[in-house]
Amino acid sequence: MKSALTLAAIALTLSSGNALAHDEDVLQMSPPGAPYIQVSDALPLPEFIPGLGTLFVDPDTLPAGPFLAYDHDGNLSATVYMTPLEDLQSGTSYDGLAVGNHTVSSVDIYFNAGHPGVDRPHAHVVLFHDEDAKSRLAE
Amino acid sequence: MTPGRREFLMVGGGVIATLGFPRVTLAGPGETIEMKGTARGEHVWFAPVGLAVAPGTTVRFVNRDPGNSHTATAYHPDIFDRQRRIPEQAVAWDSDFLLPGESFEVTLTVSGVYDYYCLPHEMAGMVGRILVGQPTDQGWEGAAGDSDDLEPEALAGFPRVDDIIARGRILREEYE
Repeated sequence: MKSALTLAAIALTLSSGNALAHDEDVLQMSPPGAPYIQVSDALPLPEFIPGLGTLFVDPDTLPAGPFLAYDHDGNLSATVYMTPLEDLQSGTSYDGLAVGNHTVSSVDIYFNAGHPGVDRPHAHVVLFHDEDAKSRLAE
Repeated sequence: MTPGRREFLMVGGGVIATLGFPRVTLAGPGETIEMKGTARGEHVWFAPVGLAVAPGTTVRFVNRDPGNSHTATAYHPDIFDRQRRIPEQAVAWDSDFLLPGESFEVTLTVSGVYDYYCLPHEMAGMVGRILVGQPTDQGWEGAAGDSDDLEPEALAGFPRVDDIIARGRILREEYE
């Protein structure tokens, strides 16, 4: 009985793992599909934003995201979060946010004064998924 | 500014001697105001942030920020129900969102002080002020006062009328 439960648990774990891996795979190339939409299709922003690339987001996750950032070749290069400073100061926390890829080579955090979609001063938290990602998103 | 300094006004690189109320050589008939931002969007601004022009001048707003969109939007009840901060007889304007490289033109004919803002960046203090004509013009309407309608960041962003009169154009040099 114990071994049967163990096998079931392992099978469930593997199944869950496969599902996660599968979902993550779907996001690695642009477009990522529903529920993600291209930010420049919904908001007056450039299709490719220097430093951030081409962004997709699930509208239900705004303002924090994750925003999936793709390079010119459609490769997922970064996952970006946007957190209004006023919300953080007033006690809002953004916990358990999803990531586009579980490999993170470096993280940049910086201030942004605002833009359509997140028009309040906020922080950009950028998780780069490989060593060259930042240069590919630069321009 | 001291009375002595007011007698010599630097405008467009020239020096103009004046008597009595300071006079300024007004830009026109066409002027450009750029919408700019730092690479990561930490700072956004109009350049120049303060500008003096002659009545009838066409002002062209152009977005030079490669990573952001901007608007030039007059403070007026007809546009997002904001408190009026342009002359009463002036026509309100709104450029709508301008993507990088896009531009919008407005011709300003009524003398007075025009305050405007960037819709997504007003809270970041991205506002500007245009003086059309001079305070001695008939019907001149000066700057609107402080208001609860404005965030402190926006109120702090308007250059002083006297400074615009004295210098003709004002740049936020720390970002230029």
